[in-house]
Amino acid sequence: MIRLRQKFFAARAALALAGVVVAGEIFAETPAGMIAIPAGAYVPLVRTPKDPAQIAVAAFLLDALPITNAGFLAFVTANPKWRRSEVSPLFADSSYLENWTADLEPGPTAPPLAPVVRVSWFAARAYARWTGKRLPTTAEWELAAAAGYTRPDGKNDEALNRDLYAWLARPVPAIQPDVTTAKPDFHGARGLHGLVWEWVDDFNTAMVTGESRADSGLERDLFCGAGSVGAKDTTDYAAFMRLALRSSLKANNTTTALGFRCAQNLPASPKL
Amino acid sequence: MKLSSPLLLLFTAALTPAAEPAKKDDACCQPLLAAAPFTKNSLYQLDAEFTDDSGQAFTLGTLRGRPVVLAMFFSTCGYACPLLVGDMKRIRASLPPPVRERAAFVLVSFDSARDTPAALAQFRAERSLDAQWTLLHASADSVRELAALLGVKYKQEADGAFSHSNLITILNPAGEIAHQRTGLKDGLAEAAAALAKTAQQ
Repeated sequence: MIRLRQKFFAARAALALAGVVVAGEIFAETPAGMIAIPAGAYVPLVRTPKDPAQIAVAAFLLDALPITNAGFLAFVTANPKWRRSEVSPLFADSSYLENWTADLEPGPTAPPLAPVVRVSWFAARAYARWTGKRLPTTAEWELAAAAGYTRPDGKNDEALNRDLYAWLARPVPAIQPDVTTAKPDFHGARGLHGLVWEWVDDFNTAMVTGESRADSGLERDLFCGAGSVGAKDTTDYAAFMRLALRSSLKANNTTTALGFRCAQNLPASPKL
Repeated sequence: MKLSSPLLLLFTAALTPAAEPAKKDDACCQPLLAAAPFTKNSLYQLDAEFTDDSGQAFTLGTLRGRPVVLAMFFSTCGYACPLLVGDMKRIRASLPPPVRERAAFVLVSFDSARDTPAALAQFRAERSLDAQWTLLHASADSVRELAALLGVKYKQEADGAFSHSNLITILNPAGEIAHQRTGLKDGLAEAAAALAKTAQQ
């Protein structure tokens, strides 16, 4: 099984190194394990009257898979201050990596190829920096996640929506499945939907108060300039779930189903 | 994939020498602070680089040992920020003189593009902020991390202005959050009391 997987990764890496064609441009050096997401527009779910109707997103590179326990083990091994017993409570709360057996031993409830969960935003960011990458922005993440299984716009992709809502309805499994079990989408990304929730770099721009019932009128005294928010597309239930999650999080929070993946700017490459 | 623990121990041991130079680096760059590491809850653990309004590099750790009143703002803000600065001035005025002399008043800008050190220097002049005030510019990255630590939410609007939480944070001499005042109404007496109390620690 593991050998098969290694073969799979090797094949992917070879493909990636061979270059990926996106929107007519060739990006010659897509790093292994990453995919290119073509430029597009993100329509914010909730915006003030002053906000533009959509945000232009430049093409970027995104990890094809969420970060795994094995990947995170390499990070904490090299960076002792991010080990469970060492981490400052400012940067990760008390349930940080709680499903791991020990500091350097993910153990049976955190299989090597399962997505790492119970990581804070600070930890995710530190990991990304360690690999020379960064976390995707909300706009980038949502743009990538808008793809269906077979087409770039997944809004009406029935199969994807069925899987997504089935996942939302399922309780969080005690042991996360391997990242490779997630079906690749149109761009080749796996697990953006249906595996774990993921941190975004600007999660703290979700201007909603923690108490969602109070959100109909953001308190003007607490939030300067955010007096009026209007929802754009109220049918996208899953996107509202993500918004609600992001706005309820603090940067040191960790949860049983919240992981991350990294992004990178596209290297400036001459057009062919 | 499974590593036995003796193997891991070996691996850790092999890594230890590599970790030491980093510690030395820390010590060399902060000679005054080398005595003790920051506490577990100290905001001064944040590895973020700031620049003050005279253009000098600034790390938050230099505030260690003083009680601090800190807020995030942007200088072109028309609504809440002038009120925040006014409130910080009121907190200062209500402090007992020995505490007032030791306290540091720190404003960190959200606006890494427009609030250059020069723009902040102009803001200092316009608001007659004396040497007890520190005005800081940070990269967008550092702004994001500090805001996350403080629990400040913010967002840049299309017109360039920032929507943001109105929050005044009191730090104790170790750099730990001692008190936070949320909103623009009330709470000044409590903030001043928290500051005076923390100054005695």
